[in-house]
This record gives sequence, structure tokens and C-alpha cells, in this order.
Amino acid sequence: MEEQAVSYRSVNENPCHMCMPIGAILPFKGVERSMVLIHGSQGCSTYMRRHISEHFNEPVDVGSSSLNEKGTVYGGEANLKQGLDNLIKIYHPSLIGVLTTCLAETIGEDIDRIGQEYLRERKMDNFPLVTVPTPGYGHSHSEGFSLAVKRILARLARKSPSHGRINVLVPNISPADLREIKRLLEIMGVRYTLLPDFSETLDAPFTSPYHKIPSGGTGLNSIREMPGAIATLQMGVTLEEGFSPGKYLEEEYRVPLFNLPLPIGLENTDTFIRSLQKVTGAPVPEILLKERGRLLDAMVDAHKYNFAGRCIIFGEPELVYAMAGTCLENGVTPVAVATGGKGAKLKTLLQTLRDRYAADAPDTGNGKGVGPVFLPEADFDIMRRTARERGANLAIGHSGGKYLTEKEGIPLVRMGFPIHDRVGGQRIFSAGYAGTTVFLDRITNTLLERKLSGYRERIYRQFYRGKKYDLV
Amino acid sequence: MGLREQDIDSILDVYPAKVKRNRKKHILLRDTALETQEIEANARTIPGIISNRGCAFAGCKGVVLGPLKDFVHIVHGPIGCAYYTWGTRRNKARIEDPKQYFLNYCFSTDMQESDIVFGGEKKLAGMIDEVVETFHPNAIAVTATCPVGLIGDDIQAVAREAEKRHGVPVMAFNCEGYRGVSQSAGHHIANNGLMEHVIGRGDLEEPPTRFAVNMLGEYNIGGDSWEIERVLRDIGYEVIAVMTGGGSFETLKNAHVANLNLVQCHRSINYIADMLEKKYGTPWLKINFIGINNTIQSLRNMAVYFGDAKLQERTEEVIAREMSRVEPVLEQYRKICQGKTAFCFVGGSRGHNYQGIFAELGVETILAGYEFAHRDDYEGRAIIPQIKINADNQNIPELTVEPDKKRFRMKVSPEKMAELQEKIPLCEYKGMIVEMQSSSLIVDDLNHFETEAFIERLKPDIFCSGIKDKYVAHKMGVPSKQLHSYDYSGPYYGFKGAVKFAQDITMGFVSPTWNYITPPWKNKPLLKGDVQKEEVQNVGLYTKRT
Repeated sequence: MEEQAVSYRSVNENPCHMCMPIGAILPFKGVERSMVLIHGSQGCSTYMRRHISEHFNEPVDVGSSSLNEKGTVYGGEANLKQGLDNLIKIYHPSLIGVLTTCLAETIGEDIDRIGQEYLRERKMDNFPLVTVPTPGYGHSHSEGFSLAVKRILARLARKSPSHGRINVLVPNISPADLREIKRLLEIMGVRYTLLPDFSETLDAPFTSPYHKIPSGGTGLNSIREMPGAIATLQMGVTLEEGFSPGKYLEEEYRVPLFNLPLPIGLENTDTFIRSLQKVTGAPVPEILLKERGRLLDAMVDAHKYNFAGRCIIFGEPELVYAMAGTCLENGVTPVAVATGGKGAKLKTLLQTLRDRYAADAPDTGNGKGVGPVFLPEADFDIMRRTARERGANLAIGHSGGKYLTEKEGIPLVRMGFPIHDRVGGQRIFSAGYAGTTVFLDRITNTLLERKLSGYRERIYRQFYRGKKYDLV
Repeated sequence: MGLREQDIDSILDVYPAKVKRNRKKHILLRDTALETQEIEANARTIPGIISNRGCAFAGCKGVVLGPLKDFVHIVHGPIGCAYYTWGTRRNKARIEDPKQYFLNYCFSTDMQESDIVFGGEKKLAGMIDEVVETFHPNAIAVTATCPVGLIGDDIQAVAREAEKRHGVPVMAFNCEGYRGVSQSAGHHIANNGLMEHVIGRGDLEEPPTRFAVNMLGEYNIGGDSWEIERVLRDIGYEVIAVMTGGGSFETLKNAHVANLNLVQCHRSINYIADMLEKKYGTPWLKINFIGINNTIQSLRNMAVYFGDAKLQERTEEVIAREMSRVEPVLEQYRKICQGKTAFCFVGGSRGHNYQGIFAELGVETILAGYEFAHRDDYEGRAIIPQIKINADNQNIPELTVEPDKKRFRMKVSPEKMAELQEKIPLCEYKGMIVEMQSSSLIVDDLNHFETEAFIERLKPDIFCSGIKDKYVAHKMGVPSKQLHSYDYSGPYYGFKGAVKFAQDITMGFVSPTWNYITPPWKNKPLLKGDVQKEEVQNVGLYTKRT
């Protein structure tokens, strides 16, 4: 596999990823009546709320222990405890997540100890306080997300009698896709616990009156009972073990773990449905067969346009992997893939994917081969140069990619988190057969728009160059 | 309509007693019968309360330095803080030299755990080298995030060395997030740095014209400053430097030659205004270019300052011309806005500065406040000597400046100054409180809980704040206007901006969307005789809360 050397530069120019705590906030928004408090400077919580709010177009309440110099020098214990008091008094949450920051980790705050002490002092021993160590310099927001899910499980899960449900663990995907996954589970007749589930909380309907903590999210009791499940389906093929909540359930409670890709793309959705079928043993309902047929129909109709696509894909590892598969099965060549991180596991997976498709792939004429090529620790500067070198004509990823459009004229199909320059990040629908169909349409139509917008001019140049014909 | 002290008390009852006592001091019921009213401000944020405040880094890099277009802004720290300040403020700039324009870039040293353990100075120095080699920027600003100060990276030394090595101005700002109580600390740090490293660095000794001004505390959100510059140039002013919207190292370095400094946002830039007066003898004038009346008043005050008959004449000509263009248009919007009420909670200056335009449109500001202002922004500068210095505000080093031996020119004699101060707010700002109506509410550091409680009690027709709280208002069925980034709209300043603003908030009032909040099956049965009348009332203006 072609591979770019790990970045030799010191500079990160226009980053592709964010820091760990912002990712860790999201799972807490997908747990019923839960609140989060960030232990550090208040700027952290303000920036992250701002970024999450702008993506989901929803209020995102996240507390801060508002550490300043005094707390930095003498320790932030008092601030954290007072913060928890106020949060509880005003919001009455059923669970609180406490995240750390660069600041808290650098001064060595022991939030586990402070947390336990707090609960003892307030005589709230059983209250679920979930601590997550998330230094900004630790990992990216994707790892922050998985680690938070893992820590929620570690705090709540307890040995439970078998109850016949399955656990479904998801990475950071849109509320629309969460809803689609739930719909598929229901159509398949599977009883399940989905964690996290921010499909209602971060895409809340307009209702009156306003609730400070929106309804929805995975129930605490359901989480507690997750060890009693038949199996765990984790959409986490790219997860490193230390960050795998499914692995935790397997090791601690022997819940069999099945890692599968996000059900985006025909093959990935097939894998998901097939896994569910193994659980129920029942045939796949007619409605899904129709949806699959419709997707296939769309793929057949669009394949003649899609072969022109040479895309650069970026975002969080799990999503990026599913999108790369979707592109490949439609003849769109991913010329580069990036997450901003090192992506050791993702790299191997992409290699396998590439090998499978390479045998049948024609040389599209420019001798640049079939992707996907993974760019480790890439920023948008590296991506931009790679896109140019490899003749990319399509970008798929979060709104940071608008830079590729501005600088290189490469159109962007917006996917993932964050989407800051368009509304509806929370409604981007791409999962399941139905979602893949609209995702594919977005890809094909973007290619068509590009093709058709300069069509007359290009033909003119090609056939009438130098002659004095007027364009009619 | 209007709250009483006991109403405020009952709202705050949700808090633990200590918190309630604290918050009470930050909330003021305006009583115009009183000579002065005090409010607590620039104090520590209460932990766990969902405040809208940011940190010193946000104030320094995000607000004051960020808009400078020919700087490469290197954020020294882990990746997050750089990402979060990447193009989020909508500060626009004209590209004069495409090679010296870096606003759409985001640079981070992306510190990893090993950098935290072993120090990040080398990485930073290496990055500065790469940046110089690749971009050749006019200047480089290094801003620190939390861990930098804690692990003891000496970014000042790294910057000094790099400047020597490359001959390019490199300046470092120790604006770690934990400094001070809000972004206000960061403004101060940025002001000091610009004064120390940029202003006065140019060779210009004399202004190109007598009517040379700087515009301070103007960040060109959505193009605000362009509208003001258009009018100022038309009158005959030369704008030397804008601090910092659309500004640059190239223009700021000659800011010392101006004959007057205009101050739009008092909070974020008053330090520079003060220091320019001490060092170069240039006084500052508090202007406000938001709203027609305020714009006109500001232009006239400027003309009074310069005391030139021709300039005054031209000022009146331009005002008359602009008025004839905008007044008829504004009149249409006024008819719709008349009688409405607004919350105006912004920053350290706009919470006050926007009240004028609301009043012109017939919208009463019933609650206003600042996120991070100081008492002088509420009570006026006269209060400054009485503000207690405490552990939180004393650790931003004061920069002491002396009159510049070569360049100090007293622009206005003390006698003339006294005379002018009778007429215009020269080196003076009276703050928000004096301009507010009785029984209106002033809230410092408004948080999510209070936002919701006050919206519920006071039922404003529009809620003006930022992106983090606007969705709360939306969910409560109240239109909002982001006064930080204007919801991708603007400019709102000056004459044309006033029209744009009026149009935008009117749109909020009359959007048909509000009529659908109550579904038809919750209304009266549709087949009754009085239905038509009902329907007519529902079409058109948003009438939910009559």
C-alpha cells in the first residue's frame, strides 16, 4: 500500500481533528437525564458547547469547574465540588459525567478520588458519577467518544441475568442515522440496548414547554443490564482495544462481541442485517428487501457517473471506513483517506478493502491506481496536496473540508462531525439501505453538478478551440 | 410587565444560598431615580453554572489578535483550542496582498503527551521556522493554551530567538486559559502585546492628513468596519488602522500617527486607547456606530473634536445624504418593530451599543448585560478608582508606558480637553446603566438557567445573544439574533448596516413559522362561523404573546 511517511513537520496547518473532551461530551448527551461537567478552564466548555451547538442546532448545556489561577496552584477540588453542587441543584441529573482537560491533567487532578470523596461527603454514595480522563493532548475526539462510552459502562454495568436483548454500541454518528439503526433493529424484531442514543436529545423536536435536559437517551437501567445481553454488536472495527466498550463487556462479563462496520453502504448494511438475522433466526422482512432493491437500483443507475469520482475522505475513523467501502462498491475511487490521527487499525482495514477491489479495478487512465491510501496524522494541508497530486474531484467529510473547495475547487459532500457552515448536521442521513441510497445520490449529484456546470464551455474548448464560432 | 426585587429573589431561589447571594449582586433592577447603581462584575464565574464566558485564550487569540490578517497565528498547545478558534468569529478582511492573508488558516503545534512531559519549546521553534519558510508572513503571533504555562515553556524566549533568527517580528502571548476570570484577561494581554511589539514600529512620523484616525475595538464582523470606513472616508477622514477587524501588522505599526482614536468596544481595547494617550498624546473618543442616531452623533462628535468648519459641513452633507436613503426604508420596519421588547446580552460592549438601534426601531431593551465586562462598562469610567483589585484581576501585568520622547505630541491642550469634554465623550465612557429605562433588568454573566427563567417571566419578542444560548430561545418559541456573529448576516453598523439589522430582526418577528407552533387540531373547530376572523389574526405578525 502506498503510504505517506508520518508527518515530519511540527506544524499542524488546518487540522482535521479536535481534542479528546469534545468527543467525550457526546455520549453523555445520549444517556437519559445526564449532564456533563468539564474540570478545567471555562473556555473549554464554552468552546465545545459552541461547536456542538452549531453542528446540532440545539442547546448543549455543559458545566465547567471554571478553574483559574488559584485552582491551578492549589488544586481544583473545591471548584469541582462546588460545580457538582450547582449542577445537581439546578438540573437534577440522574448521572453526571466529569471530564478532565489539558489543565486538570497537567496539574495532576485526581478526579476519581475527588469524585468519590464528593459522593461520600454529600451522602450520595450510589449516585452514578462517571469520570473520564480526557486530556486535550491525549487523543482525538474520536477516542474521547469511545472512552466515555466505556467509562459509562464500567460505572453502571453490573452482573445481570440474561434478558435476551442485544447491545448495540455506536460511534459518533448523526441522530438521523441513530434513528435509522433503531428502525432497522425494530424491523428485524430485535430487542436491544443502544448506547449512546442521542437521537432525541441532540435533535429534539420543538415542544412546549422547554426542558433543560431534553427527554430521550439510553436509560440507566438498560445500561446497568447490558452484561445480561446475548451479544454485543459494536460498530467499531477501527477501535483500539483500550478504547473498546464492547471489549470491556466481553472481558468483564463474557458478553460475546461482534465488531462490525457502520451500516453505511450496501455491503456494510448487509453485514449488519445478517448479524441481526443470526440473533433472531427469522427471515429478513419484505420491507428491507425492497429497500435493498431500491438501493441496488440506484447503484446500477448511477454507476456510469460514479466511475468518474476520485474522492478524498476524511473524518472519524469508523465513519471514514464505512464511507470508503461505500465509495468502492460504487466505483468511486478513494484516492486518500485521513482522520487526523495515526489510525493503525484503520490503515490495515483499508489495505484489505483495497486488495479486494484492486483485482477488478480498471486503470482509469491516469495511472494513479485505486485507493484508498491512508494519510496518517494528516492535516488539511497534507490532504490538499495529496488531493491535487492524485487528481481528486470530490471530498467527503466534515465542514473543515470547505478549505479544499476554497483552495482547490473540489466540491464537498458534507458528512460527519462537525458541520458548521450548513444547517442540519444532525439530520444527515446515510445509514441502512435507505440512508445509503440518499448518501449515494449526494455523491453522484455532486459529480454531475460538476460535470454539467462547465459542460458547454468544455465542449466548446475541446471542439471549437481557435475557431471563431459563437456559443449559442 | 417588569420584575420586582422579590420576583428576582424567587427566580434565584433555585440556587444554593451562597450562590444566590453571589448572583444577586450581578443582577440589577434599574431605577432612574437613583443617582448611581452598583453592580458586581468581572468576578469569578461560579463553577457548574452554565455561563457563556470563555477564557483568556479566547479573548486574546480569538477576539483581539485573531482578526489581524497578515499575522500567522500559531496556537501553542494541544489541537483543540486552535480548532475552536478557526474561522469562528466571522471577522472579515479585505485581501490586499494574497501572500499576506492567513485568516482562513489554523496553525497548531498539536502538542502530544510527550511534549507535555518533555516541554514543547523545540517543537514551537521548529514550527516558527517552517512557517517563516513556507509563508513569509509579515508577523507571527504565538498564543499559549493552558498546559504551556504549567509546564513552563518559555514562549517569550522562543519568540525572541526566532525573531533574531529570521528578522520577522515574532511575539508571544501568555494567555493561558486559566488566567483571569474570563476572556477579558485575554483582551488585556493582547492589548499589552500589540502596544509593546507592533504599534509605533512603523517609520511614519506624520499622518497623511490632519483628519487621521484609528478605529479601536472594531472587529469587522460581517463587514461592519467596511461600512464605517466608507462613511468616514467620504467625509474626509483617513483611517490609519482598525484594531483589529481587517487590520494588519502593516497598518497597526503606524497607528501612532493618528490624531484621534475612536473606541467602539470599550472593554476589549480601552487599555490600548489609554496607552496611546499616554505615549503619543492622542486622545480617544467613545463612539458608537450602531444605529442611525448613534452613528450621526458619533460623526458630529468627531467633527467637534477636529473643529474644522469644512469637515463639519461635509459631515452634515454626508449625514443628510445617507439619511435620505435609509430613513424611508427604516420607516417600514419601524411599523412592525414598534412596541416589541428585546433581551440584549452580549460581550463587553454590544450589550450596551445595540440598545440605541433597538430604541430607534421602537424596540425596548428590557434586559441587558455583558458576559465579561467590568464595572466601568456598566457604571462608567468614574468608578474605576473604586474597583477593588483582587487576586483575580491583579495578575495580568499592567504595562506602564511613558511619553515617547520623539513622537509624543499633545494633540489637545488640557484647557481644550476640558472644554471638549463638556461637549463630547472624549476619553470618557459613561457605561450602560445610565441609558437604561426604569424597571429594566441588568444582568452580568447571564447563564442558561437565568436565561430561561427571565425569558419565561419577561417574554421578550426577541432574544439577542450568541450561538450557545440562541437555541434555548428558539426552543421556547422566541426569535433570536446572534449579536456575536450575526447568524451569517451583517454588516449591522452605520447607515446601511442599520437597514440590514432592521430587516433581519423584522424577519424574526414576522416569520410565518411562528404561526405553526400550535397545531390546527388544538385550535377551535374549523367549521364555526367565527373562524375567518381568527385566521386573519393569525396570518401576518407573530401574535403568540399578545
